[in-house]
Order: sequence, then structure tokens, then C-alpha cells
Amino acid sequence: MSFLHKFRKPKSRRVVVIGLDGTPYTFFRKAMAGGYMPNLARLVKEGSFRRINSVYPTVSSVAWSSFMTGRNPGKHNIYGFIDRRPGSYKTYIPTSRTMKTDTLWEILSRAGKKVIVINVPVTYPPRPVNGILVGGFLSPNVDKAVYPPEKAALLKELGYIIDADPWAARQSKDRALAEVNAAFDARVKTMLHLMDNEPWDFFQMHVMETDRLYHFLWEQMDSDDPIYAPQFMAFIRKMDDMLGLVRDRLDDRTTLMMLSDHGFCTIKKEVYVNYWLEGQGWLKFQDSVPREKRKLEHLAPKARAYSLVPGRIYLHLHGREPQGRVAPGAEYESLREEIAAAALELSDPDTGERMIAQALKREEIYNGPHFEQAADLILVPFDGYDLKGGWGKETLTFKGDELVGMHTYDDAALYVRGQDLREGPIWVADPMPTILSLLGVPIPPNVDGQNLLR
Amino acid sequence: MEHQGFTVWFTGLSGAGKTALAMKLEEVLRERGLKVERLDGDIVRQSLTRDLGFSQEDRNMNIERVTFVAKLLTRNGVAVLCSFISPYRARRAKSRKEIGNFVEVFCKSSLDALIERDVKGLYKKALSGEIQNFTGVSDPYEEPENPEIVVETDKETIKESLDIIVRRLEELGYLPPAEAGNAYSDTEEAEVEERLRALGYI
Repeated sequence: MSFLHKFRKPKSRRVVVIGLDGTPYTFFRKAMAGGYMPNLARLVKEGSFRRINSVYPTVSSVAWSSFMTGRNPGKHNIYGFIDRRPGSYKTYIPTSRTMKTDTLWEILSRAGKKVIVINVPVTYPPRPVNGILVGGFLSPNVDKAVYPPEKAALLKELGYIIDADPWAARQSKDRALAEVNAAFDARVKTMLHLMDNEPWDFFQMHVMETDRLYHFLWEQMDSDDPIYAPQFMAFIRKMDDMLGLVRDRLDDRTTLMMLSDHGFCTIKKEVYVNYWLEGQGWLKFQDSVPREKRKLEHLAPKARAYSLVPGRIYLHLHGREPQGRVAPGAEYESLREEIAAAALELSDPDTGERMIAQALKREEIYNGPHFEQAADLILVPFDGYDLKGGWGKETLTFKGDELVGMHTYDDAALYVRGQDLREGPIWVADPMPTILSLLGVPIPPNVDGQNLLR
Repeated sequence: MEHQGFTVWFTGLSGAGKTALAMKLEEVLRERGLKVERLDGDIVRQSLTRDLGFSQEDRNMNIERVTFVAKLLTRNGVAVLCSFISPYRARRAKSRKEIGNFVEVFCKSSLDALIERDVKGLYKKALSGEIQNFTGVSDPYEEPENPEIVVETDKETIKESLDIIVRRLEELGYLPPAEAGNAYSDTEEAEVEERLRALGYI
């Protein structure tokens, strides 16, 4: 019986996804050319390696939500690391409970596939899956991050770390490197243990440490700093070693995918959009609140617009914000046009360089049942100008030395082994239907991403 | 989240707890906001299939009609709970194929335990020959080979079996998890916000 069974039912396909948060396609190419990533170089010969686009706004929570749902934010409802509660001036941190659509691993679970998912952003609190899910870096602790909860003990035994401590990392470049290396080592150890000892058809491991390293040390790498550039590249070598360990574990029924969700570049300046809105007369706060204590809830009724990170501009709209005075319709449209036009003129006070490349109306980039939660205008900066909110700032721009790298839109990367991907532009929602197709699971309707298999 | 229909198919010997578990599960599903319909062997045979007996042919026809109803309900977003002895593997496989979103729950219990308990007094009658074609005694029962869920109702309490089923339905993505309040406590949220601030994300 079992002998015949073997012939009747071939073993099914499996997929491994490695997410290297924020690693630019152009940097991968550079690191391979420099001999820092021999394992990736070997993999690239065995598959397709492509430059891909992220999402707007270009932050990990939005990009990975589009990855895991295959949909634009208008459908999954994640627009940033912070959002406003409808009908109030309160802000909150969107979580997996804010996400309104099924994830890739929930669809796979339903199809009977065993999944293991580690550390993908916006997966806390862990929603149940047919397998194991470890929540992302916004999980409060290991105990709360893991589904099923009884697996938390194993993760603690393996020394799993939720995230590098960003405040420690801000203290010095050495601390940043130590934090990033420790978190990465623990994560890889956990990944290998689960990969080798637990059943799975789909395995996704997310490396957040790349994004952290780049935020804290990209400029040092970029400018070939004699002390920190080598340490930066030592981490890259270690990341490549990890890819080698994963490659060693592949068999002919397992497809490896690797991707990043956005690119990175050196920050020229942080740009405080709320300072600018205030200077233009569009943003006003209650007089009684000291500048340094300002928050969204201190908006004055006569305020006409405000911004949340990065570059999301909301009009103070009547009927939406409790005290909003901008009338829907003609007034809304003309104010939006006015702000967009002014933003495109906004220039670096020191160099005169334009800072804003595009001012996108939300209907140009989003659609779906949660469209109304979107910002009214999304500013896209030129590389190097990192858009911040900055409620109480006293300057338009600032150049710091703690956070030195920022995200870019069009320089993310996608690798798929053993496949020749179709031509044309790719964005971060395309891998989801592609993975479903690789695993023989039907692609649900209303997915925005396209299957990349030929 | 998008609620989609599915059918939970309870199979097992008479008295193994299929109906009792389906009734308990119905309560949980309704609490979670799902539309639920329960199709039960004892009830269906009084209306939809009252013309049928207990030959293999009739048993299969009974399941065929129920499957048709379950399919219609499932594709309209209803959680359908079917409790039928449904002794034949091939017939259950056909139902699975036809319905699509199908979760097979094998209510497993030893025959000895069932004969001893014999809540409806049917085993006694079957053993004495008063009832013919009685599954497990005078008719075959083909155990599922790969059910989504197995509950051992002679060893577990009904609460334990129910928990197993509910959790598995959550894992399979059919059942939204129970809302356990906010994702973060106030202190956790403040701490996570600080981390985001350190990264320049808020």
C-alpha cells in the first residue's frame, strides 16, 4: 500500500521565503560584485533576480501588509506605523487586528498547508495558522508573540529576540552593531531549528536587522567609513552565510524566494512636514499647549491640514475629524491642489534642491473598502529627504547622526530560484499570488498582485 | 475579515457525540458572528430523506441529498454543521469534493464504550437483532484516513473535544479568533510607541 501510495501521490511543492527588510536591489548587486555575497551570487545564476517597487508610503508595515495580502492598502487597511482613530484625534498603532484581509499564510492554512512564519511586520497579535507564527517587531514579548502559545517556551530556549533595542542602537554605532548582530544570530538559530524540526509546506523568515543596520549605519557604509563600513559589510557576509545555510536545505520540490520591501539611501535631511504646514498657515494648534508637547489631539479647530509620518497629509475635514472645518467637495479639492502644488515647490533651505518628487492624491494609488482611512495626499520625497511629522519642531529640516538611512520606493529586490519570471514591472504585492501558484492553491479574487510565473 | 462558508462534517458511530459537539460548536460560532445551520441525521431523516432506509444505497442517497444542501449553504457564507454516521469513506470523499470548504471531524470512540453507555438504547437492540443494519454492530464503519480533526470522545470531556475543534477551525482560517480586547495593554502600547519613535517611524 505505502509503496503504491508513493507513486500515486507525489510529494507536494514547498516554498521558503526569506525577507531581508529594506535591502536595495542595487546594493545586493554591489555586494555581489564586491565578493561579499557569494551565496547570493550562486543563487542568482539559478533563478530570477529583479528590481521591484514598494508601496506608498514606503514603510515596512505597509509594504509587508501588501506582500502578505497581495493587495493595496485600500484593501488591507494598513497605511503606516501610526494612524488616527476614525472620528477622533487619538492615534494608535495598527496591528494584525487592523488588517482587514486574509494573509497568504491564512489562505495556505485553509488549503491544508503547514506554515511557519517568523517575524513579519504587522503579524502581532499572532492570528492562528496551521503551523507556527511568530509575531513581528511590534510584539511586546516572546510569550505574546507566538502561535500556538505553547511554542513560546521553545523560542525562549533558543534565545529568540523580538527586535534589536533601537534606543540602545541610537547611543553609538558600536551599540547598534552589537544589537543588530545579537538579534540576527538568535533569529537565524531559531529559523534553522524550526526549519529542521517542524513540518512545513511554507516557511517564511523575516530579517528586520537589515533595516535596523541601514537606519543606523547606511551613511557609514555609503561613505566608506574606515571603522564602520567594514563592520557593516561583515554583517552582510553573515547574511549571505545564512542564505547559504538555507540553500543547503533546499530539495527539488522546494522553491526559494527572497525579497526586500523597499530600498535604502543616505539621509540628506529630515524634513518636518508639520512645521512646513504650520508655516504655510494650514496647521494651527491650540494656543494653550506648549510647542514641545503638541500632538494631534491639540489641533485647533481652524487647522486645515496635518501630517503623519511619512508624508501622509490629512485635511481637517468636516464630518470626518470631530472639529474639521474644511468642507467636502470644492473646498477639499482646491485645498488639496494648493498643498500639493506648494509641496512640489518645497526646497532645501541650504541648497535650494527640490525635496518633494510627487504629491499623490489618494485615489491615484489606493482603492478598496478601506479607502476612506487613507491620507488625502501622499508626498513622495526625492531620495535623501526623509519626511517626518514633527509636531513641535522649530526648523523645517534637520541632519542628525543617529538615524542616517531612509527608505526608497523603486529599489527593492525579488529573487525566485528555478523560475524565469515574466517581463514588466513588479511590485511587492506580486509575490503573494506567485507563491499561491507555486503551491497549487487558488488565488483569491480581488488580489491586486499578479502571478509572476510564466 | 472575509467570512466564508464552510462545512464541518462530524462522522462516527451512533452515540459517539456528533450531535452534542455540533450543538456546542453552533453556540461558539454564533458568538463569533457566523451564520450557522445544523444538519443532523436524526432530524433530516424525518423530512428531507424520510423515504430512505439503511441499506448502503439508501445511506449514500441520504448523504448525497444532505451534501447538496450543505453545498448551497456553504457557498452562501454559512457555517454548516453536519452530524451523520456517514460510514462510507468514498461517499464522504465525494461530499468533500462537492462542498469544497470541508472539515471532517472524526468522533472516535471504542465500540465497548458506546455499548456500555448506550444513551439511546440502540446498541442493546442492535445486539439482540431487534435493529438490522446497525453501524458498528451489523453494518461496517470505515474510519477516515485523513480527517482534519480527530476527537476521542470516550477519553475527552465534551469541552476538551470542543476546544480541539474550535482551535483547529481557527488554524484553518475558517473561524476568526475570539476578540481578546486591545492588541496591547496601555503600558505595552507606550513601550512599542517608544520603539517606533527611536526608529523615527512616528
